[in-house]
Amino acid sequence: MNKFYHTLKTLFLLGWSIFVVFPFLWALSTSFKDANAITSGATYIPWVDFEPSTQGWTSLFTNGSQGINIVGPFIDSAAVTLIASLVSLILGTLAAYGLSRFEYRLGFVKNADITFFFISQRIMPPIVLAIPFFLMLKELGALDTIFGLVLVYVALLLPIAVWVMTDFFAGIPKELDEMAMTDGCSPIGAFFRVILPNSVPGLVVAGMFCLIFGWNDFFFAFTLTFTETQLLPVSIVSLNSSVTPWWSLSAFALISVAPLALVAIVVERYMSRGTMSGAIR
Amino acid sequence: MAKIVLENLGHSYLSNPKGEHDFALKPVNLTWEDGKTYALLGPSGCGKTTMLNIISGLVPPSHGRLLFDDQDVTSVPTSARNIAQVFQFPVIYSTKTVRQNLAFPLECRGMTPSKIKQRVAEVATLLDLDYALDMPARKLSADQKQLISLGRGLVREDVSAILLDEPLTVIDPQMKFMLRRKLREINRQTGMTMILVTHDQSEAMSFADEIVVMKDGLVQQSGTPEELFSQPQNDFVGYFIGSPPMNMITLEPNLGSLSTEAINLTKPLPAAMPVGNNVSIYQMGIRPEHIVMVDKESDSIGKGTIIKIEHLGVDGVVTLKLPTGVIIKAKTRKHTEMTLGDTFGIRVCKKNALLYIDGTLSSSLN
Amino acid sequence: MLQIDHLTTAKAKVSLDNVSFLFEAGNIYTILGRTGAGKTELLRALMGLNPLINGDIKLDKENITKRPIRDRNMSLVYQQFINYPHLSVLDNVAFPLRRQGKKKAQAQALASTMLTTVGLGDFLHRRPSQLSGGQQQRVALARAMVKQSRILMLDEPLANLDYKLREQLREEFPRLVADNQESVILYTTTEPREAMELGNTMIVMHDGEIIASGPPADLFAHPPTKDTASVISDPPISFISGFVRDQVLYFGEGQLAPSEGLQLPPDGPVTIALRPDAIEPGGAFTAKIGLSEFSGSQTIIHLDFDFGRAIMMVEGIETFKSGDNLSISIQAEQMMLFAPDGRNITLRDN
Repeated sequence: MNKFYHTLKTLFLLGWSIFVVFPFLWALSTSFKDANAITSGATYIPWVDFEPSTQGWTSLFTNGSQGINIVGPFIDSAAVTLIASLVSLILGTLAAYGLSRFEYRLGFVKNADITFFFISQRIMPPIVLAIPFFLMLKELGALDTIFGLVLVYVALLLPIAVWVMTDFFAGIPKELDEMAMTDGCSPIGAFFRVILPNSVPGLVVAGMFCLIFGWNDFFFAFTLTFTETQLLPVSIVSLNSSVTPWWSLSAFALISVAPLALVAIVVERYMSRGTMSGAIR
Repeated sequence: MAKIVLENLGHSYLSNPKGEHDFALKPVNLTWEDGKTYALLGPSGCGKTTMLNIISGLVPPSHGRLLFDDQDVTSVPTSARNIAQVFQFPVIYSTKTVRQNLAFPLECRGMTPSKIKQRVAEVATLLDLDYALDMPARKLSADQKQLISLGRGLVREDVSAILLDEPLTVIDPQMKFMLRRKLREINRQTGMTMILVTHDQSEAMSFADEIVVMKDGLVQQSGTPEELFSQPQNDFVGYFIGSPPMNMITLEPNLGSLSTEAINLTKPLPAAMPVGNNVSIYQMGIRPEHIVMVDKESDSIGKGTIIKIEHLGVDGVVTLKLPTGVIIKAKTRKHTEMTLGDTFGIRVCKKNALLYIDGTLSSSLN
Repeated sequence: MLQIDHLTTAKAKVSLDNVSFLFEAGNIYTILGRTGAGKTELLRALMGLNPLINGDIKLDKENITKRPIRDRNMSLVYQQFINYPHLSVLDNVAFPLRRQGKKKAQAQALASTMLTTVGLGDFLHRRPSQLSGGQQQRVALARAMVKQSRILMLDEPLANLDYKLREQLREEFPRLVADNQESVILYTTTEPREAMELGNTMIVMHDGEIIASGPPADLFAHPPTKDTASVISDPPISFISGFVRDQVLYFGEGQLAPSEGLQLPPDGPVTIALRPDAIEPGGAFTAKIGLSEFSGSQTIIHLDFDFGRAIMMVEGIETFKSGDNLSISIQAEQMMLFAPDGRNITLRDN
């Protein structure tokens, strides 16, 4: 009976893994194909099914008609995502700590309402925000600049940071801050000396969400940039001209997924480690 | 209702235990009769919770068998074992009334409404909660909530045993007393086997017909409270049962007998252990309750000076320093009449002075 | 010296109601009360963690009611074992010293000495999470004591520990706090025995008020009110209503005309309080045995009378059968009487 379940479980997980990994394997194999190999039906294994070519990869680092240079968009994307994530994380963590430890009252508005206000910004469909953002950036002269995009992305990522960190701080016993204060810390000192060092898992999760959403955003990058600044998701779409260079597209996709995959691997060990154990029984 | 037998039952969380140390619960044989109350007693990490989890079916044991009424249930899942469990913190459905709380397990089993009504009424009477049936469960006090947790187990008619996992931890001392009495009454009226896990020896002593004392995954002694109190099998049981712990006085073996300078008490040396066997440690164990303080020194076995008096209410604990520097504790009700520095004679009934060799009760001499 | 006047906190499930007291330095005060009596609220109010709506806190004549928490020169040990999870045991204890501006080496040296005192000299470089519950609480205690603050507060510090560990720490407690001779020590607990064993002065709290205070043995022998008697008795005290007429005490179908040991008040209703030592086997009253349980060398017998329930304790291990009838006597010299308003009106001949 147990053995049967075990086999069933293994088979299911195996099937699911193939389903998940297949697109990546397909993209990898396609990135080494040339036009011939692609048009002649589905093939899988290099040297056996088709003759591999590095054209897809080299095209990403050459300018001109042969392809698009990926280096510029990669740097732009990295800059916008990192700066926006960092700003969101700092502001979000401070806001979340305040919301979890102090009681605010602005007329009838209380902590829960403020938290909802933050999160509500993600309820609206992005299309509603596109035109106002466009007009605002235009007034600021920040259209098609990294600065403008950072502004917009902070507005989008801050709710995520606040949401994740409020939840995380709520799980840290408030006795820990109180103890820090009785031990001679000011309220802000308690935050930096005691709460922040114990918040690494929460910061990692919030940071990762920010990176993922920032890095993958296409819609705002598409509406708010033209030529000067170009982010990866937009450039990938611009490859899609009359004849689609599937090989370049596949290589491009793999490169743009790589940083997030790397982040996930590094971060995974932080997330599985419960550092709060021992603070409170 | 069931008799529970642990047959060479042991558990290791490792897949391939090498030695004794790898066992969270070292293999043990125990038989628990139907309808009695039992306590698993020991410090944290002694294996008592592992044993409870094996009985409830949450942990499948790595070794041995578990029998309910001679039926092997070792690999039967928890849901099929008909066990009711009460945890450290009351588990109640806070949005429901007391009545709905009690009815819930029966509704889940698809019982008819009239039958449910009857069972709930019976159990409410048993728990003295009739008056509270229509109150929201969250409004009750901690001890009443604990009764509801228990009641949700009791309403099922097929329950074979009730497992209580430190259920009195969050209850105030005086209420503990009442709740304990209630549990005993329920045991008597329903005839249901109850197994209590606790670290509190006084709780175990007053609750259980039989106590299993555990330490480091090993059952140290299993017996009635009287046995554990008057005949602790080793120094750990002597320490763990009773408050303050048993006094242990070191004895020197010389010329065929054991004696101590601390008190004038000699015992013949066991024949099997010749003098000069200085590997063994001989100790005299005397319960603080068994030390009688007398004014006259003539018929006492020693004298001691009071260095500390603790008022515990009706009782008191007096710490005595003997001329040799040995310190012993005595329990008395006369503590209010004593003052620091008083000197008393000490008297101990011979049957209450037990001999321990290397920490184990020596049966040959006691 | 710590003086509190009319401390009152905002109405809540548990709140302080006009609490005043004078605490002397070098004294250990045990604050006894049931869950929800206001013990924790009092400590938190002193610390500045709970806001006051009225009242003053004076430390050596200086009003500190509005002083920020970090400047109050007080320390607090929580019921839960709270330590800084990201710091080693040594750095945990050095933390408050570092905040006082001490150099790292000096702070660590002092912390290390304190940790040796509490018996953790071998665990300096562990994280709190790698210690057992009892050891974690020792770290918290060391951190609270190392500052040598004027007020040392312990909020049910042993409540989450195993029974035997509790016994051991209670035994060690006087030695552990010996370094803090100059401090006012406040120790809250729900256990009467713990309060009596550890305190020089016992303070009884009930419903957010201090209802009695004094040396533990005196309070136990002469509780000023019925509530006090009820809070400080474990095993519980039994209350029976009765009345006095013509120097005879009536309760249920029983009556008692004490010749010595107790003087009865003038005619009127009274509440009779019986501790286990007020009832002895053999005598004129009949009770049904509800349950008998074993506790160490004593047997505790729950008795059901026609006039109520009470508990008797008999030395030695005796088997009593539930449901049987037992004749008992009630000792007038151990009995206490309370007026309808709760005052203790016991009068003994001297």
